[in-house]
Amino acid sequence: MTLEEKVKDIIVKVTKVKPEEVKNEAHLVRDLGVDSFATVELVAAFEAEFDIEIPPEDAERVDTVGKAVDYIRKKVEEKNN
Amino acid sequence: MKVCIFEDETYANFYPLSLTRPVFELKCGYFTLRERIQTHLGTDKVCYFMRDYLASWFERYYGLPVNKMDSLMGDDVLFVNGRWLMQKDELKLEGEEEAGFFNDTLLYLRARKKTLQDIYSDNLNLREILTGLAENTKSKKIKVTLINYPWDLINNNASQMEKDFILLGRVGIKGTFPSGSFIEGDSDKIFIASSAEIEPLVVLSTKSGPIFIDEGAKVLSLTRIEGPCYIGRNSQAKGNIREGTYIGPVCRVGGGEIEETIIHGFTNKYHEGFIGHSYLGEWVNIGALTTTSDLKNDYTSVQVYINGELRDSGQTKVGSFIGDHSKTGIGTLLNTGCVIGVGSNVVAGGGVTPKHIPSFCWYLNQKFYKGSGLKGTINTAKVVMERRGVRLSSEQERILEEVFKITDGERKEMIARSRR
Repeated sequence: MTLEEKVKDIIVKVTKVKPEEVKNEAHLVRDLGVDSFATVELVAAFEAEFDIEIPPEDAERVDTVGKAVDYIRKKVEEKNN
Repeated sequence: MKVCIFEDETYANFYPLSLTRPVFELKCGYFTLRERIQTHLGTDKVCYFMRDYLASWFERYYGLPVNKMDSLMGDDVLFVNGRWLMQKDELKLEGEEEAGFFNDTLLYLRARKKTLQDIYSDNLNLREILTGLAENTKSKKIKVTLINYPWDLINNNASQMEKDFILLGRVGIKGTFPSGSFIEGDSDKIFIASSAEIEPLVVLSTKSGPIFIDEGAKVLSLTRIEGPCYIGRNSQAKGNIREGTYIGPVCRVGGGEIEETIIHGFTNKYHEGFIGHSYLGEWVNIGALTTTSDLKNDYTSVQVYINGELRDSGQTKVGSFIGDHSKTGIGTLLNTGCVIGVGSNVVAGGGVTPKHIPSFCWYLNQKFYKGSGLKGTINTAKVVMERRGVRLSSEQERILEEVFKITDGERKEMIARSRR
């Protein structure tokens, strides 16, 4: 799986939405129903999968699937450099 | 004679309650341990020693010196261990130089001005000064009530409230007491302050002990209160409030049942659910139908997480110890002897919680998470406090930052375990 596919797979598992709904432009809260509990679970799942740290303040600023993919990609690159 | 109330090295035994306050700010009976010491010694010429990160806020709060070595100079000093649940006439302010011990614990030490001057050095901390003084001072063994663990506060609470009612010497109904409400037992074991309000259909039972309802408190209809009990200033109480319960200032408490519990202040437990043999800190919110277990089904003694390990309390009845700013969600079932840290969020999702939930953790659906972190928790704290007209000071914010650092290791460990 690519990084993007892994991110979207995690979102599907946590939110239980259909995979086809997890588009880059989908808003996590408005379109996918991600509440504060799901946010916490998503952060934990991303951290575990990609071995990165996501400060809670950063999590608040990531509001779409696309931004989540970009953020995690950046974090993974920082970790690998 | 100046009095110096000090915190000794056992403060971690009282975590999480002592993460945000010195041990001698914990309550038992109507007063904090500190207030009790000062009342019985009859002095307000006092200084205090505690962990450094607490000093700034508490110096502002007391308006008196905290952790100032030079405050020990210029006078004879009576050092008093803040864990002492001091009783009337147990210790005299004035007297000869001597060190009093209970087992191996230094309870008090009286030192003359000159003795202090001779031993004082800028390089010494309080513990070193006390050790040096004790080695060269006549010692005495005495037997007192020393608070060693959080459950000691609960176990002594009811008897202390009985004594404190007598100590305050305030009796009678000065506030409203409608004809549809009743006193069951001796009416001379009741005090209702002039600005307190009792609604109709309230039963106050003094058959087991006195009841003290302080200024601005309100007891809502269909409430039964069993003494010994204290309802604090500007608090609201309803439901079934059973013996041995202390409710501090500005609380909203009731619904369901509360028994043998200390609620420090500014805390809400307003809906159905049982809380027993517990100590709730400040700014705690207990969600509806949250229930503590305070008795194991096999009636064996309760293990409690103390200072990094599970310790046998030796007690059959132990509820929960909940640190400041923590919240429980609806329907949370708290395990027997559960310890919840500072700023935690517990949403147990149907199961019984684990024994220990570290500070600043979210416990959600049987797993630990880092939740909204330090900043998110502080932001929530500010909103909660503003609802009661209180501002979170910069010093209090720094205390929470320090607590976050102190509890970092245990929090990371529990989160890591959840991911395995």
